[in-house]
Amino acid sequence: MSEKLPTEAAVTAAGEADSKTIEPVHGVHKPKYDWMGLTNEWGVRVKPGIHGLRLGDLNVGIYGEIPEFWEDQTRRPRGALSRPGIPPLPYSLRYKHEMWADCAADLYEEAIQRRWIPATEVPWDSLEVLPDDVERAVCQICTELSQCANTELEIIAYWQDRMSYGYFEVKQFLATVTFDCARHMEVLRKRALSNGGGLGIESRGRVNRMILESSGGWTEAVVYLYLMRGTYITRLLTGLLSSAHNDAESFIYSHMLEDHARHLTYGYDHLKYAATHRKGSTAIMRTLLTIGEGHMADELKDGVVRSAMAIIFGGGIEGGRTRGMKRYLLLVREFLEDYLALCRWLGIDREETLHPMLKSYLED
Amino acid sequence: MAVFPSKEWFEEVREVYNSDRSLHSGGGGACDTTAGFSIGDRRYRIEFAGLECAEVRESNDAELAETDFIIEMPIESWKAMVRDVQENGKASSSQTLNSLDLGLEDGIAHSPVDDQYKQDLFYRYNQNFQDFFNASSRVETTLE
Repeated sequence: MSEKLPTEAAVTAAGEADSKTIEPVHGVHKPKYDWMGLTNEWGVRVKPGIHGLRLGDLNVGIYGEIPEFWEDQTRRPRGALSRPGIPPLPYSLRYKHEMWADCAADLYEEAIQRRWIPATEVPWDSLEVLPDDVERAVCQICTELSQCANTELEIIAYWQDRMSYGYFEVKQFLATVTFDCARHMEVLRKRALSNGGGLGIESRGRVNRMILESSGGWTEAVVYLYLMRGTYITRLLTGLLSSAHNDAESFIYSHMLEDHARHLTYGYDHLKYAATHRKGSTAIMRTLLTIGEGHMADELKDGVVRSAMAIIFGGGIEGGRTRGMKRYLLLVREFLEDYLALCRWLGIDREETLHPMLKSYLED
Repeated sequence: MAVFPSKEWFEEVREVYNSDRSLHSGGGGACDTTAGFSIGDRRYRIEFAGLECAEVRESNDAELAETDFIIEMPIESWKAMVRDVQENGKASSSQTLNSLDLGLEDGIAHSPVDDQYKQDLFYRYNQNFQDFFNASSRVETTLE
């Protein structure tokens, strides 16, 4: 049976009379305010610094206590009072060393502040007709890189809901990374479809698959996603930027490079944190790299990216056979030098045991 | 007419850069870093804070050792870059910081304390630095 609801006039009248009569409105429970005293720490008054009120600035008092292990399996915000009886959520990453990087809060702020809009900020009217072979090469690289961005997005999304809410700085930063990846997919597609070309052939995706199947832990995924593949992509982007054919491409590659560098900063920092806070982690990384280098070597051997980049560097198929290919091989060499230096920085010496096919790029 | 390299030249570029937001293409967002420029036997320290270049001043090796990263090139390369910006209104593709970094065996940017995190700032804020040097096209310049 339905209950007759009070009219608006009756509610207003009841409100005015409330302080006098203290009679509850019919059908509405008398409000309780006992939750108001329930807090772990009250009276916090964080002031903005010269850079504004940043996420990291809020780490004061108990709100700044970041434990090595997050006991709670609920969505309780760090510092909030826990409520008994909340059913657990499937957060499987609960150790700080499984996701942490000290720079995450700062990188989150940076990502928010340095966002860009492909639709209106890329000077699309600067695009000009390119020789057919060069346009095909550019479009093929756009196709490949958009698949890489999609892989990055998907592996982060896979791990996001497994990460404990207590390390929210990381979760928030990674949310910006997925948005960056979406933006990269968008802008690469737009470049491919805006200058008389189109998308090229799908990548074989060996390394993409390796990244997506690294289900042992987020740190393991980061080894493949950032230390290995990400370091290579940096070199691709710097190469593309230096060979940009117009202002639109310069804008696209330079902004992708900045976003990507931010992702790598988190990735490298996280691996360093894991290496120094989790016993045996460098040995695990070494094993992963031994496996991963084989896939990376196979992918580098694949002719599609190699020849497309050579055409871009050489200004066409003709130049691609000579100076373009030479420059691409130098790019791979520089990637491997970066990769080995990063491994050394992490305490993993790969110099001697580097996959023979990769080692061959380092030989003159 | 300002002479490159000199404190006055950097100061004039800073004023141009700060006075016109249309020159900022670096994501339209904040940049917080300090970097050093090693130009022949001269040293300069530059600080970006938020949306502005907060300061550029003449410096020394000891102070540059405290910066996030140092951009170092032979003096002739610096002059070629500045000359190119003067002639074209902005760096042409072979004279951008990125291209110059690729062109040298060890690159042009390094962290004075070999800190990977700080080294990466060169890439994260690359466009701000490029915008800064591109702004020098509006400064009447004489090369030393």
